[in-house]
Amino acid sequence: MDQNQQSRRGHYNRGRRGPDRRGPDRRTPAPQAQEQGGRDHVDVEHIMRDIRARIAQRHGIDLSNQQIQELAARRLEAILDPRAIKPGLLDELRKSAGAPPPAPDPAEASELTYTFEDRTLYESHRGLMRFMRRLLNPILKLFFNPNPLIHALNTQARWNAEAVTREADRVRRQTEWNALHYELVHRMVTEVSRVTLELQSLSSLVESLSAKVDFNERRVRSMEGSLHQPRPSHAPSPSPRSPERERGPERERAPERERGPEPATAPMAAGAPAGETAAAAEAPAEGQTSDSSRRRRRRRRGRRGGGAPGENAPGSSQQAAQPGSVSDMNSEAGGDEGPDDEPEQDEREVVEVPPVAEVAIEAAAPPDAAPAVVEPHVPEPAPPALPAPGEREPEA
Amino acid sequence: MKLAVVVQRYGADVNGGAELHARYVAERLAAHAEVRVLATCARDYVTWKNEFPAGADVVNGVPVERFPVARERDPIEFDRRSRQVFHDVHSLQDELQWLDSEGPTSPDLIARLTRDPQEFDFVVLFCLRYYQAFHGARAVPGRAVLVPTAERDPALGLSMFHSVCRGVRAIMYNSFEERALINAVSGNEDVPGVVVGVGSAIPTEVEPGRARQKFGLQNPFIIYVGRIDANKGCSELFDFFLQYVEASPRPIDLVLIGNPVLRIPSHPRIRHLGYVTDQDKFDAIAGAEALIMPSYYESLSMVALEAWALGRPVVANAHCDVLLGQCIRSNAGLYYENAAEFAGALDTLLGNAALGQALGRNGRAYFDQHYAWPVIERKYLDMFDRLTSQPPAHSMEPLPGWLARRRRILPPAAEVLSAIPSGPAVDRPRREAHA
Repeated sequence: MDQNQQSRRGHYNRGRRGPDRRGPDRRTPAPQAQEQGGRDHVDVEHIMRDIRARIAQRHGIDLSNQQIQELAARRLEAILDPRAIKPGLLDELRKSAGAPPPAPDPAEASELTYTFEDRTLYESHRGLMRFMRRLLNPILKLFFNPNPLIHALNTQARWNAEAVTREADRVRRQTEWNALHYELVHRMVTEVSRVTLELQSLSSLVESLSAKVDFNERRVRSMEGSLHQPRPSHAPSPSPRSPERERGPERERAPERERGPEPATAPMAAGAPAGETAAAAEAPAEGQTSDSSRRRRRRRRGRRGGGAPGENAPGSSQQAAQPGSVSDMNSEAGGDEGPDDEPEQDEREVVEVPPVAEVAIEAAAPPDAAPAVVEPHVPEPAPPALPAPGEREPEA
Repeated sequence: MKLAVVVQRYGADVNGGAELHARYVAERLAAHAEVRVLATCARDYVTWKNEFPAGADVVNGVPVERFPVARERDPIEFDRRSRQVFHDVHSLQDELQWLDSEGPTSPDLIARLTRDPQEFDFVVLFCLRYYQAFHGARAVPGRAVLVPTAERDPALGLSMFHSVCRGVRAIMYNSFEERALINAVSGNEDVPGVVVGVGSAIPTEVEPGRARQKFGLQNPFIIYVGRIDANKGCSELFDFFLQYVEASPRPIDLVLIGNPVLRIPSHPRIRHLGYVTDQDKFDAIAGAEALIMPSYYESLSMVALEAWALGRPVVANAHCDVLLGQCIRSNAGLYYENAAEFAGALDTLLGNAALGQALGRNGRAYFDQHYAWPVIERKYLDMFDRLTSQPPAHSMEPLPGWLARRRRILPPAAEVLSAIPSGPAVDRPRREAHA
């Protein structure tokens, strides 16, 4: 269970205060948040698709072997440069990998592996001829000695036979090596593909976790800071926010606010979730990037450099800006309620606190997913908020 | 209007799904018509042993007539005949003998129906696969309104039932999937039919805390209600749940309500409450994070509807077309096909209380829209009105002659059924809703 459900819901409810607080761009409810005919528009098919996608993403190796093989084949073909490698080579190698070693050509083999014995010179299929040659052999030897010739040819025949055997062995070994090499390369590529998928999955997990850690750190700092601040006797109430202030023209006035104290800005920012990437991505598009982002960076530096919140110098803009915000922080455990001088922070509030009606989106996001990942899809929630889990039913 | 409700077993303590369905319908229709229930004396659906006394009775204000079962079921014979008709080429005579062996064979009940053909305006017959529905429909086809309570079971592939589905006056289906299945297997699209289902006796007040206190349920829990049986998918449920609790840090318990036919794994996270009262059951369901429906075959899961009526989400077995269709149509339940999806669905639900509540709200709205008693009653009464105003457009096909009945030309029922497309029927209801 999400341990922050209650606090997040409280935070969200406060954030919803005032009809125009978030500006018109966040008012439009997304289809998931709409209620139709008394029924929340939750699309269970969509949720199940997300669950299945999450399962597949979490267990990248859960891809079927067939899928991984196909992926590996595509990768292998991509690795091989067609300009440098004969196009058919891979196919040939693939074919030869599964095929048995080629048998030597019998005609060629018989041609090479002839036998030559001492009587071979006088052999004939005719018996009379064979007899006459053997009879006249002593006369032949009067003219020259055939024995060295016989010996040489006999040796040659023996060598030929040995060469054929060696060649057959070599071809067989080569085929086996080819198969082994192909199998090794194939498995390596498959394994690399599998590992790449795992790496992608783990990278997103790490990214998600680091965003979460960052968010938690900020939140802890914010809470600690708010707890260490003295409660002032007269808390200036945060000025109600008009919709116009949230829009572009208002942002142009940011440098003016920057010069003066920024009420409760730091805790609010600190309480914001790690949706900064999304917020930062939005900010430049608004045309007032430099000031607000500079201001944000300065606040971050202040918080990071300040260590414990209590170490902030009294009277600094952060501390001086927070009269009256302590109780808010305590009550909300998030401390991100305050004067809304930055629309991005509001957006982060929405991210941080999943509105009840946004269940489909909430469900779509992995439980440990960073809010920033979800943020761009977060619609304006429906006004009636659900009770916190503990409020759902009276416990015994 | 005079109605007869014909069902195999009937009694206040008979809690089979179809029997309870019949009792609820009879009791509700009794407010609008003169209802008389005709049932057998059996209480046990396996043996059909005569346990109730034959004759007249009154159950919750509804008059009941019970008729003796001529012979108890012989399980060996029934098994043999089942194998024959489900898996071999067979004859219609084999199917009829299979039906006799299944029971509850009660010729007296059928004779009662035909004794005075004008006595009842309509005869509502429950459970297509049993003797009384088949022979009752053939005895009074012009007044027969069938509530098939059929599921994707090989028995539905038997050809003798197809003629019944084509010959009755009307069919009250439990779900769109059941209608699609019966339409496909019997080709009875021209028979008037409506998807009705059944409501439930939901108490006006439920107290989850009471169940937690009574049964010592301290952790959040998911709940299964029903017979704890491998046929209901419980062994798979145990496997999936144990895998889940081993891998998940969430302190979640599985609470089981119902009689065990299967050995329940001894695990600290699995709690078996046994048979409990209705009030305890509803309290426990209301206190659960979700109701689990692991069954592969359901014609209409009343307990799922009860969970939705109580605003609790359902996690159902996606292999069951009906449950899957109900979850998708209602947007009130998640579903799973394997252990990973089971864990994913549970994680999603348990990790997002708002989602659970939204699903529960959808379930409640779905129940109110389709399964609240006024809706159910209205559908029945509208159908009776329609049938009264329209003459029968078709008649029951007569059984073949002696020789033709014995010709072994019928394909195995399992084969017939396997040729029927499966899956949730979600498009048709959407089209109808849009229309």
